[in-house]
Amino acid sequence: MNNSSIAAYIPQLSDPFLKAITVIAILVFAVIISKGITIYLQRSLKDKMDKEHLNILLKTIYYGIVIVAIVGFIFPLLNINTSGLLVAGGFAGIVIGFASQSIVGNFISGIFLMIERPVKIGDQVNIDNKMGYVEDIKIISTIIRTFDGLYVRLPNETVFTTSITNYVANLARRFEYVVGIRYEDDADIAIKIIKDLIDEQPYALINPSPNVFVDNLGDNSVNITVRVWAPATEWYDLRTKLLWIIKKTLEENGIEIAFPQRTIWFASELNTRNSRAGYVENGMDNGIDES
Amino acid sequence: MFEIYHPPFTVEIEDTVITVEKQGNDLVYKRTLKGEEETELVLLNNDGDILINPIEPVNLPSKLTSFLLIDFKRPALIRPGDRRNIYLTFPVEIGAFVSDKAGNHEVIDIFTYSRVKFTLYGGHNKGLICRHWESDVFSEIPKTNTLYEGYIELEIINDSSHLMEVTKAVFNAYGMKIYYGDKRLGVKASMRIINKLLAETDFSTYPTTSRFKRSMELYTSRKLIINGTKGIMEFGL
Repeated sequence: MNNSSIAAYIPQLSDPFLKAITVIAILVFAVIISKGITIYLQRSLKDKMDKEHLNILLKTIYYGIVIVAIVGFIFPLLNINTSGLLVAGGFAGIVIGFASQSIVGNFISGIFLMIERPVKIGDQVNIDNKMGYVEDIKIISTIIRTFDGLYVRLPNETVFTTSITNYVANLARRFEYVVGIRYEDDADIAIKIIKDLIDEQPYALINPSPNVFVDNLGDNSVNITVRVWAPATEWYDLRTKLLWIIKKTLEENGIEIAFPQRTIWFASELNTRNSRAGYVENGMDNGIDES
Repeated sequence: MFEIYHPPFTVEIEDTVITVEKQGNDLVYKRTLKGEEETELVLLNNDGDILINPIEPVNLPSKLTSFLLIDFKRPALIRPGDRRNIYLTFPVEIGAFVSDKAGNHEVIDIFTYSRVKFTLYGGHNKGLICRHWESDVFSEIPKTNTLYEGYIELEIINDSSHLMEVTKAVFNAYGMKIYYGDKRLGVKASMRIINKLLAETDFSTYPTTSRFKRSMELYTSRKLIINGTKGIMEFGL
C-alpha cells in the first residue's frame, strides 16, 4: 500500500487548523497504541529478558509505531509526497540490507535468544565447542569466558543455530568412576567402603541415590562402577575430590587398585625347573662364595 | 551455651573452643575444633558482645539452598478433613553474631555438629535442591541435644477429601522462627495438604513454649527482604 492509496482513505482537509488537530490526534493515538503495546510486552517479557535488552526492544517498538504513523498517515494528510523518499529508501534498503545481513541476523537471533533463554549469564556452557562461563548476552553477540580464561565473542546467529550444552540448566548432574580392584579383594567390602565415603560427602545427593556396583570382570581387575549425583554447581568440586579419597581409603583397608598384569606359563616349564635345579646344585645360587 | 558473651571470653562446646580476645580496640575471634584452627578473624574497632545461638540450618557447607526437606522414617497417615500435631527433629546450625551499640547483629561464624546432606525434591529441571534431614515421627516432644537437633511441632491439616500418606515435609527456612530454652530448641510449623501432590508449609512466629527465648535468625539479622516464607510442596508428599 503506497501513500496515494492511503491518502485515498483520508478525507482532504482544507482548514489548516483542522489538519493540525488531526495530525495531533493521529500522533496521540499512535503514542497511546505504542504505549499500550510496550506495556503489554514489558509485562509479558519481564521474566524472560534482562532489563537492559528489554528496554532496547521496547524503545524500538515504541518509536517504530510512531514513525509508521507519521510516514503512513501524517505525511499523506499533509500532502507530503513520500514516493521519491520511498524509492530512494527502498534502494538504500536493498544496499543496506545486503551489507547488514549478518548484523540483522545476529540482532534477530539475539532477540530470540533473550526470549527463549537457553543460557543465562553465569551459566557453564558449551556453544560451538567453546566451553566456559557466559559472561554477557548482548543484542548482537554472546561473550564467553572459557575455563582457561580466554575471552570469546560468539555472534548470536551462531549461538542460535548451533547446539548448546548448558551444564547447569538442570539442578543435579551425575559423574561416574570405574574403580578396578584385584580379583583376590572382596568386592562387597569395597562397595560398602565406597558407599560410606559417598555418604560422608554433603554434596553427594541422597536423591537421586548413588549407585555402586560390580559392572564387569575385566582382564586385570574387578571393575566397580560408581555413579554419584551432585548439585550442578558443586559437581566439579566433588568429582575432583572423591576419587582420591576412595583410592586412599580402599588401600587403607587392604584393597588395592589393580594394575595390568599377565601370568605367563612357559611351554618348557620342566626344563626351566631342571636347569634351575642344576644351577643350584652347582653351588651357584646358595649364597656361598666358593672361590 | 546459647547466650550473649562479653569479650574477652572462652567457651568450650563439645570439641570446639571459641575464644574472643581483646587486642587494643579490636576483637580477635578464634574457633578451634579438636585443637585445630577452623576460623580466625579480627573484628576491627569493635567492642560489641558476641551472641551464640541456633540459626536456620541451610547455611553449611555453603549457601546452596533455603529449603529444608525432612524425610519421615515412618510415613504418617491422616484422615480427610483432619488436623493433627506431630513432632519431628531438625538439624541445628550455630551462628556467632557480633552486636553493636544500636542492637544490630551481624553473623561472623557458622558451624554445626549435625550431618549435612542435600537432596533433590522434584524433577531435575523444575525441582528444588534441599538440605536433607531424616527424622522419626513422634507423638510428643522428643528428647534432643540442643547442639545437634531441635524439634518441630508440625500441625498437619488435611484439606483434601482423601486419606493422605505423608512421607516428607519441605520447609522454606527463610521463615524459620527458632525458640530455645536450656534443654530444648523448638520451632512451630504447619502443613496444609491440598491434594496428593500439593501441600503448603509455613512456620509460626509463636514459640512452642512461652518460656523459650527467640533466636536471632540469620535472615532477620541481615534484614533481607523476603518474598515468601512458605514452602510449596508441589512434587508430592
